[in-house]
Amino acid sequence: MSTTTMTAPTSSATATTEPLIEVHDLRRRYGATEVLRGVSFSVLRGELFGLLGTNGAGKTTTVEILQGLRRADSGSVSVLGLDPRTAGDQLRRRIGTQLQDAALPDRMRVGEALQLFASLHPAPQPLDELAAEWQLEALWRRSFAALSGGERQRLFVALALVGRPELVFLDELTQNLDPVGRRRTWDVVRRIRDAGTTVVLVTHDVEEAERVCDRIVVLDRGRVVADGTPAAIVDDLGGTTTVRFTDRELDVRGLRPLPGVTRVRRHGAEVQVEGTGPLLAHVGAHLVAAGRPALDLRAERPTLEDRFVALTQESSS
Amino acid sequence: MTAITSSPTASRSTGPVHTALRLTALELRLLLREPMVAVGLLGFPLATVLVLAGVFGQVPDPDFGGVAPDDHYVAGYIGVVIAAMGLITLPVHIATHRELGVLRRFRASGLSAGVLVASEIALGVVLGTVAVVVVLLAGTAVYGLQAPVDPLGVLGWYLAGLACFIAIGGALGSLLPTGRSATALGNLLFVPMFLLGGGGPPRAVMTGFMRTLSDVLPLSHVVGGLRQAWLGQTDDPHTLWWPLLVAAAAVAVAMRTSRRRVG
Repeated sequence: MSTTTMTAPTSSATATTEPLIEVHDLRRRYGATEVLRGVSFSVLRGELFGLLGTNGAGKTTTVEILQGLRRADSGSVSVLGLDPRTAGDQLRRRIGTQLQDAALPDRMRVGEALQLFASLHPAPQPLDELAAEWQLEALWRRSFAALSGGERQRLFVALALVGRPELVFLDELTQNLDPVGRRRTWDVVRRIRDAGTTVVLVTHDVEEAERVCDRIVVLDRGRVVADGTPAAIVDDLGGTTTVRFTDRELDVRGLRPLPGVTRVRRHGAEVQVEGTGPLLAHVGAHLVAAGRPALDLRAERPTLEDRFVALTQESSS
Repeated sequence: MTAITSSPTASRSTGPVHTALRLTALELRLLLREPMVAVGLLGFPLATVLVLAGVFGQVPDPDFGGVAPDDHYVAGYIGVVIAAMGLITLPVHIATHRELGVLRRFRASGLSAGVLVASEIALGVVLGTVAVVVVLLAGTAVYGLQAPVDPLGVLGWYLAGLACFIAIGGALGSLLPTGRSATALGNLLFVPMFLLGGGGPPRAVMTGFMRTLSDVLPLSHVVGGLRQAWLGQTDDPHTLWWPLLVAAAAVAVAMRTSRRRVG
C-alpha cells in the first residue's frame, strides 16, 4: 500500500500556511478492531479541507478525537493550538460543529435552538442576521420535527456558525439531500470558507470532495492513503490523459512523435491518443497543421473517483 | 413571516449557571409540549392515591400503623411520585436525547458535562416538586390531609428521596441506549418499587418474603421516613443512610458510564 503525499498549493484565496489542526500518528482501537492506524495530517487556516473515506474508514472517530469527544489510544493532536484531551470545553466553544446523525429534540423550535446555542458563546452572531442569512426567519417558531431535510441542514449550519468559529466541522452535510439540495449546500460551504472560516468537510462522497474541497485527505481502513489537492491526487494515478477524435483517413503515425504521447490506437474511425501533459493542445495543433481539424476532439482524464477506487483497492490488497 | 422577537444580546452567555438555568427552562418547556409526560408523571400517582385512599377510608387502622389509610397513602405518595420521576421520566428523557444524538450535539457545541448534569438535576427537582405539590393539593382537597408533625423532617426525607431517585434516573439514563429501552426497564422497575415500596398494600399485610424484599427497596425507606415525619408514627423501615448509599452508587455508575462513552 502506498501513501501519497503532495504539497500542491490550495485553490483557496484565503488559505495560509498556518496549521490550524495538526494530527500525528493517531491510533484508536475498539476492542479487537483497530479503527485508526497511525493517522497524520494537518489543516491550514482558511482551507476548505476534505476528510474523504468509505463508511468505516475512521473519519468520524478522527473528528470526534479532534473535538475532544473521544480519546485516542496514542498519537498527538493540536487544534487551534489546544490539546482536545485537556482543553475540550475551551476548544469546543471556539469551533463549530455539524454532526452526522445528531438531531435536536423534536419539539424544540428553530428560534429556541438558535438562542440556546448562541448563549454558549461570548460574542455570538446577531440572531436576526444569522436567521436571514440561512433563510430561517420564516421557520423561527417551527419545531425541529416539522423541518424538511434541507431546512434542518440550514439550521445545523447556522448552529455551527452562531459562535463565529475559527474552524467548523461539517460531517456528511449533504447526506439525504436531493441533487439540487446538494449543490445549494456546496455553495453554502464555499461561502463559509470565503468568509474566512476554516472548514473541515467530512464525507464519503467523492464528487462532493472533488467539487468543493481545496485539499483532501483520503482515509481507508484507518490509514491516510492520499493527501493533496483533488487534481494532484488524480495526477498521482499516472496523470494519463486520453484524447479522442474521429478521422478515418488520418495517418496516425504522425501523432506518435508529439510531446507527451505514449500510445496511439485506432478503432475504426476513432483515434485514441494517450499521454501526459497538455496533450489536447498538441494533438489539436497537429490536426490543424495537417489541415484535418476534428470537430469531436476531446480529452478524457481519470476522475478522483477512479483514483479513490484505486487507492482503496490498493489498501485492501 | 414570524417576527424574531429575541434580541441577540438577550442570549449572551453569563456563565455555566446561567446556561444550566436556560437549558433547564427550555427542557421544561419541551416536556410540557409532550402531553404523555404530564399524564405519566402526574396522572398515574394522582389517580392511584385518590383511589387507594378512597378504598381504605379515613378510619385509623392497625394494618396501617394505627393511622388513617388516606393519611398513610397521601403522605407516602410524595415518595412514589419522586420514584416515577427517577425511574421513568428522567431516564426516558436522557436516553431519548442520546438516541437522537441531542447529547452529542450539545457536547460538541461547548455545553460542558457539568452543565448538562446540573440541568438534569434541576429538571428532576422541578418535576418532582410539581408532582408532589399536585398530589398533596389533591389529597388535601379530597380527604382533608392532616398537617405534618415534623415539617423539617418531611423536607429532609423529600430531599433524600430526590437525591436517591435523580441519581438512579441519571444512572439509568447513562446506561440505556434508547428511549424505548428506558421506558421498558423503567416500568419494570417502577411497578414492584411502587407496589412494595409504599404505594401498594401496607407492610403489615405482606408475606414474609415480600416484606423482606420491600425492606431492601430504597423507596420503602424514603416513604417510611416521610410517613414518620408527617404522621409521627410508622411501621415502615426508614433508614436514611440506605437511600443515600443507593444514590452514591448510582452516581458512581453514571460517572463511570459517561466517562466510558467519552473515552
